[in-house]
Amino acid sequence: MFNESLSHGNDVTDRKNKHVSFKATNKFHNNDYSNNYIHSGSLPQKHVTNIENSVQGYPKLQKLFELKDRQIAQYITTPFGCKVDIDQMVPTLNHWIQNEKLTFDVVMIGCLTDNQFIYPLLTQLALDRLVSKPGFLFIWASAHKINELNRLMNNEGWAKKFRRSEELVFVPIDKNSPFYPGLDQDDHSLIEKMQWHCWMCITGTVRRSTDGHLIHCNVDTDLNIETQQTRDGAVPSHLYRVAENFSNSTRRLHIIPARTGIEKPVRLRPGWVIMSPDIILDNFAPKRYKSEIAKIGNCIPMNNQIESLRPKSPVQKV
Amino acid sequence: MVNLELVRFLIENHQELTSVPLSGQLRDVFSLFLTDQRSQWGSKYAAMSIQEFIQDLSEVNELAPNSLTFQDESFVAMDDRRIEFIDVYALKILYDICRQDFSGSNQASKGSRGQQQPQQDPSLLDRFMTALDCDTKDEDSELLSRQMLLQRLEKTLAHKPASVQLGKERARMTVPQSEFIPVCNSEKHAHILSTSVNTSGNRIISIQWSRINKFENENNGFTHCLQTKIHYVPNLNTHTERSLGDCSYLDTCHKLNTCRYVHYLQYIPEVLKEKIAEETKLANRQINQQKRIPFYTLGNCCADISKSLLPPQWIRCDVRKFDFSCLGKFSAVIADPAWNIHMNLPYGTCNDIELLGLPLEKLQDEGILFLWVTGRAIDLGKESLEKWGYRVVNEISWVKTNQLGRTIVTGRTGHWLNHSKEHLLVGLKGNPQWLNKQIDSDIIVSITRETSRKPDELYGMIERLVGRHARKLEIFGRDHNKRPGWLTIGNQVTGTCIRELEVKKRYDNSIAS
Repeated sequence: MFNESLSHGNDVTDRKNKHVSFKATNKFHNNDYSNNYIHSGSLPQKHVTNIENSVQGYPKLQKLFELKDRQIAQYITTPFGCKVDIDQMVPTLNHWIQNEKLTFDVVMIGCLTDNQFIYPLLTQLALDRLVSKPGFLFIWASAHKINELNRLMNNEGWAKKFRRSEELVFVPIDKNSPFYPGLDQDDHSLIEKMQWHCWMCITGTVRRSTDGHLIHCNVDTDLNIETQQTRDGAVPSHLYRVAENFSNSTRRLHIIPARTGIEKPVRLRPGWVIMSPDIILDNFAPKRYKSEIAKIGNCIPMNNQIESLRPKSPVQKV
Repeated sequence: MVNLELVRFLIENHQELTSVPLSGQLRDVFSLFLTDQRSQWGSKYAAMSIQEFIQDLSEVNELAPNSLTFQDESFVAMDDRRIEFIDVYALKILYDICRQDFSGSNQASKGSRGQQQPQQDPSLLDRFMTALDCDTKDEDSELLSRQMLLQRLEKTLAHKPASVQLGKERARMTVPQSEFIPVCNSEKHAHILSTSVNTSGNRIISIQWSRINKFENENNGFTHCLQTKIHYVPNLNTHTERSLGDCSYLDTCHKLNTCRYVHYLQYIPEVLKEKIAEETKLANRQINQQKRIPFYTLGNCCADISKSLLPPQWIRCDVRKFDFSCLGKFSAVIADPAWNIHMNLPYGTCNDIELLGLPLEKLQDEGILFLWVTGRAIDLGKESLEKWGYRVVNEISWVKTNQLGRTIVTGRTGHWLNHSKEHLLVGLKGNPQWLNKQIDSDIIVSITRETSRKPDELYGMIERLVGRHARKLEIFGRDHNKRPGWLTIGNQVTGTCIRELEVKKRYDNSIAS
């Protein structure tokens, strides 16, 4: 075995690599990706090294993700689509609440498009009756839209019912991405906009230390970057996965108060009821849904292996 | 039948036709008219002769008497004569009368032009549609044209204004480059290196070339990758247990000598580092020369090149009790307050009311304020900005990465979810015309450093936005925040150093009183 002396280098060179020295430098190098963007046009997020596998290097977390994936897949309803025009959404949902007695534990509103009617939906809908307690609400929109919703969400009535808990961000990989918020660039924008935001709200009482049967905290992070596998469409699967990994409940509803068009189809997702004017299938029937939920239960059961792997509050460990 | 196209042509071009170099030469006017007609699809006048042309012309002159004045040169042939003056008003009246006659009769199939703009003042939608429609000619079905219209609309809306394009180009040509070495992302390469590099005392000692060469023979390009990119080599010690995976803290781990998780060493060949340094130096020399060239000076200080950068300035003070009026006005302000969230941080936090009470509205008449916020403070920050007279126009996310360039995913960094990013609110006050907008993107990817230390990339972004010589202030700064062109204030900077005489005078006065 032929070893080349490196950092304590008297210049012994390998005969096969006569002209190239591989001696390591002692200086730590750090890239300025913002500066690089100015000169090369390559966006900073492109240089994150764990985009494709965010838990790369952490075998325990990888195992946890695998197990959770498998378990979530065991307790899912048929993928349901409910094709409803935007102005018919509130009446339809009110019908579900009053006549069908349907409630959901996870409700996601909005998708990655700028042209959404979230405000009228939030003000007209009896959201506190649609979302069970405890329940979780995710609202996805452009950062600008989320800002506009601030006033509504800050008023006493709302803030008391739904506590804002985390702000999530989704980042498209570049400007050719179907998720690039191109049209959101207004003239006032000082900096190119490259992100989508989400408010995660909690209603009712959950505690992260004691309610491990309901929620698994600190599994996902508040940041998602578009991956190569992300399919075109209005909703990248990341958005669903965060909600699924966090809440153990099986009743999940996604409302998309926007026309997304042919270019951005709304696809079905197992375990979710998706309401949209552009959903590709219209197969939702409350009766069938309720019977399916009755079969699998409201909550994914505890699993010892997952329990031992998932991050927990230090108090519980004792 | 009146040649309406000719009337329109004369109205639209009357000035050019009668002035130099044409000077109303009928032959030239005729050929220009033909060119004009040929550019319009399906015109019946595209192949007319000069005789017909002159006939039409005299017909127009008959119907609108004296609308065309010819030069008095009766001895020359008609087609050599020159139009001296065109009475546009007379022609316009003729045009309007004739066109009204046309509409209703099926004569009007001639061209879409005369029909589609019947009103003098078309609505915004019509004008917009014509702008989009200008080069659509041959669409077969309505559906196709609709989709094309949508595409064209999107393309038009996505088009960047010249100020942005020029600003970007100027930034590329004049902002100094920083040394850049890409990071290798191949797991295979990482694996080979992990088995062929010997480390000791947290340094790379040697590389086993036999293994590298063997691998190179199988996979071409490995040594080339080694020579051009950054690689990370596991720093294996006797206590390391590889099956545990990577340490959450990596190079910032305090227990390097006992921690059983895997840590890494950065591997860059010295030659590569030197080569990049040399190339960057050359490029920057070029950029330095180019600095004088741009004629595009919008948003720059007029003495941008000759002016030297103001050295760092700082004031040690309790920001809560500081008299901000002695500082003057700033183009850009950064504030990184220690929001009072339920965490034990190694520095004093101030409470929300104190923060909201800061008289930040005094610092800028117009300009931008950057406010770092976390968790619950996101909301409070937006509220505060509005109270100080700002609109939240952007939100920047700092994607926090570790030594390996990966996002931070472990360590229960947030209450419900782990936190991989931090928020920076961008507030705009007034409507400043001197900003270089949309040069940078709203994502910063940068390594984490000491607790609460923010990425330096932000300074570059702000300098591009407001210009190098604009006055800039950082509130709640620490010693590592001091930098040329910036005034840093906070209770953790050491001492006070003010270079601007006026500020110094006012500051001394406020201290004395």
